[in-house]
Amino acid sequence: MDVTCEVVGEGTETLLLADDATYADVCRATGYSPHEVTVLVDGSPVPEDAPVESSEVKVLRLIKGG
Amino acid sequence: MTGLALDSTQLDRYSRHIILDEVGPAGQQALLEGSALVVGAGGLGSPVIQYLAAAGVGRLGVADDDEVERSNLQRQIVHADADVGRPKAESAAEYVRRLNPDVDVEPHETWLDAGNAEDLIGGYDIVVDASDNFGTRYLVNDVARLTDTPVAHGSIYKFEGQATTLRPDGPCYRCLFPEAPEPGEIPDCASTGVLGVLPGTVGCIQATEAVKLLLEAGEVLDGRLLFYDAMDMTFETVPYRRNPECPVCGDEAIDSIEGIDYDHGCSVTAD
Repeated sequence: MDVTCEVVGEGTETLLLADDATYADVCRATGYSPHEVTVLVDGSPVPEDAPVESSEVKVLRLIKGG
Repeated sequence: MTGLALDSTQLDRYSRHIILDEVGPAGQQALLEGSALVVGAGGLGSPVIQYLAAAGVGRLGVADDDEVERSNLQRQIVHADADVGRPKAESAAEYVRRLNPDVDVEPHETWLDAGNAEDLIGGYDIVVDASDNFGTRYLVNDVARLTDTPVAHGSIYKFEGQATTLRPDGPCYRCLFPEAPEPGEIPDCASTGVLGVLPGTVGCIQATEAVKLLLEAGEVLDGRLLFYDAMDMTFETVPYRRNPECPVCGDEAIDSIEGIDYDHGCSVTAD
């Protein structure tokens, strides 16, 4: 399946994922570990082990510096 | 409120606030009667402390258990070369005392932890999260929610920053980032570097949000995360929503932070 993925601050790309892909696979396809980012669908985070059901997602990186 | 409580020196000092319709004498009085706790007197905390003090926020807490190091001075502009080795909370407090005698500054030379966070955060009208680690960020979020205290949040990494504002009736930080990564999974400024002016930009946004919260004016970054890229000089807003399943602000929210391990993942486990 094709998923349009915006990595906030980096840009938007179309990911080609397996039909049984999870949101963790979305993270990995963008080059991040699921622990480094949160995946948002319609403004809410989705569990990393949930199957991808949305064709549009945002990936937001966690940063901690102060 | 008539503004008659402002003396002639204050009318002069805050004149550029007072002539603004959105602030006026009543707004300035609200700032002078308001209080804010700044958690972290580092890169983000420096401009926050400076601008809140200059604005006349009447009681300003500064919580930091660290000491000033020379490598801090490229971005932590509330401290000076002569402050190296001094506690950051005291160095920042001295800056505030020099800047504005209207401000009652309260240095807290302590690490914010589960044992003291409720007393500290609950004692102020608002809290500004200018910390540099996930344990403190999640602790601030959780305790602020339990004490109905708004949070002006900011964080930075190399050339980019994030800011959002957490109101008691809006989504919380866990609605966006449900759990913290394990220690070491996300790099810090010491290992990757950080553009010195970056926390100035993000900290000023946090200070702006803090002032607006105290004034109860304007639209704050509630349910919106502002992403700033200094290299591209772009700002992007990411909307987010309250999560009904959020353990801290959702339908079955916690009523205490007991049992949450803020040193490892900050996860909230079910009873």
